[in-house]
Amino acid sequence: MPNSFFSWVLFLLDKYGALFLKGAGVTLLIAIVGTVLGFIIGLGVAIVRTLQLPPQANRPRRFFLGVSKWLLSAYIEIFRGTPMIVQAMVVYYGALEYLGLDIPALGAAFLVVSVNTGAYMAEILRGGILSVDKGQKEAATAIGMTHWQMMTLVILPQAVKNTLPSVGNEFVVNIKDSSVLNVISVTELYFMSKSAAGTYWKYFEVFFITSVIYFVLTFTITRLLRLLEKKLSGSDSYTIYGSQSHSKAEIKIQQPH
Amino acid sequence: MENIIQAEGLRKRFGQQEVLRGIDFSVKQGEAVCLIGPSGSGKSTLLRCINLLEQPSQGRILFRGEDVTRIPPARLHAKVGMVFQQFNLFENLSVLKNCTAGQVAVLGRSQKEAEGKAHQLLEKVGMLPYRDARPSQLSGGQKQRVGIARALCMDPDVLLFDEPTSALDPEMVDEVLYVMADLKKAGLTMLIVTHEMAFARDAADRVIFMDEGLIVEDAQPQLIFEQPRHERTAAFLRRSMRGPLGLKQLT
Ligand SMILES: Nc1ncnc2c1ncn2[C@@H]1O[C@H](COP(=O)(O)OP(=O)(O)O)[C@@H](O)[C@H]1O
Ligand SMILES: [Mg+2]
Repeated sequence: MPNSFFSWVLFLLDKYGALFLKGAGVTLLIAIVGTVLGFIIGLGVAIVRTLQLPPQANRPRRFFLGVSKWLLSAYIEIFRGTPMIVQAMVVYYGALEYLGLDIPALGAAFLVVSVNTGAYMAEILRGGILSVDKGQKEAATAIGMTHWQMMTLVILPQAVKNTLPSVGNEFVVNIKDSSVLNVISVTELYFMSKSAAGTYWKYFEVFFITSVIYFVLTFTITRLLRLLEKKLSGSDSYTIYGSQSHSKAEIKIQQPH
Repeated sequence: MENIIQAEGLRKRFGQQEVLRGIDFSVKQGEAVCLIGPSGSGKSTLLRCINLLEQPSQGRILFRGEDVTRIPPARLHAKVGMVFQQFNLFENLSVLKNCTAGQVAVLGRSQKEAEGKAHQLLEKVGMLPYRDARPSQLSGGQKQRVGIARALCMDPDVLLFDEPTSALDPEMVDEVLYVMADLKKAGLTMLIVTHEMAFARDAADRVIFMDEGLIVEDAQPQLIFEQPRHERTAAFLRRSMRGPLGLKQLT
């Protein structure tokens, strides 16, 4: 048997390396699926919550929109107001005991993380939509765009770009918080670590390795997201074309920070 | 000449406050009409009612004789263009895309056709060299010229300007006024809210003076500027013509 901290770490890595990798893979998969689906849910919710009917809209439409907005804000309040670990239990065992549905653990994980993330994304994106200045909305209306055209061509691209740091942050949060899904036996990194630790009763050594893996994941992803943000924030130079000749010149604009 | 825009008994209330209190006027084909008046007199609200950014509370507005509330919004908005004080360019789009987005989305033009049109109008306002720039990279005067090109790309029958030079640094005002004077020469119908009194005097066919939600005077520029019929008009002009160097007159 290994007799020092490092020899234990090496021993465990050798023995459970595949397990750790598989766990990290599942964790990453849940975080990606949950963030992407959560983003789509959040975008839909935010679009509906920021809808404003024209003054001539009829009463049934007003009523329908009012009810939808109320339901959506209830969804946001509930999912942001309860821990995800509890949501996981309620969804998994609720489906099992009351609907007779034995959802695979991974499926339940996708569902819970997506819907939970959706609630946060909805608020982030709603803020992003509202932060685009009113003048651009008026300009879009004034050249005849429909509400939908205005949203897709002008508002949403800016809303998404402006909220990208927060959206990326949700991804990082999901990598960490998906660990709570061990309560419904999802084979993500935390769950795998716990089973590895149990065999030799080596909790500190195993969870030391686990924390290194989590940190490498979140650190790498944070840097990648930062790179992406930089790229999307647009190059700060553009080519200027002479109207007479074909000569081009690069104009560099210093943007104040 | 045919009336492009006509307002009849137009009133607009915001809650208890009546901002437009019965407006009647018209703009004929090819006319450039300047709308002047103190701030808060309802000039912007009037423009915004014309292209239905605001709903009139009473009275009606006709576009070529047709009640604007009966015209499909996309068609009305394409035909009645608007240029804003704060430019309101689409920040996520290049100069060129600012000019093509509406043509493709609203008029159903092909991308190529839209770009041809955009090139032509950007050239006209002297902004073609900047077609790939983002709005955030332009000066105020450049932004406003793009704003004008964007509106013109929709082939409007009339262009509404809401204080197009008020947000500009003084040295950029002229580049925008030149463009507008050019459009006037080319025969575009325009309704212009402005504080540029020299422009109103020299470029407008007619000047309308508004105060407290009413049209006080509606006449040719010489008449308004040289022999205003109302004391309110005269007082407003005295205040406006004092100009930036007129501080001496105050002290
Ligand atoms: N959306 C609005 N809600 C309430 N009051 C408004 C609104 N828009 C304008 N007003 C009021 O209407 C009056 C006229 O405004 P406006 O048309 O902008 O005047 P002007 O353009 O001549 O300066 C002002 O008192 C202003 O506060
Ligand atoms: Mg105004």
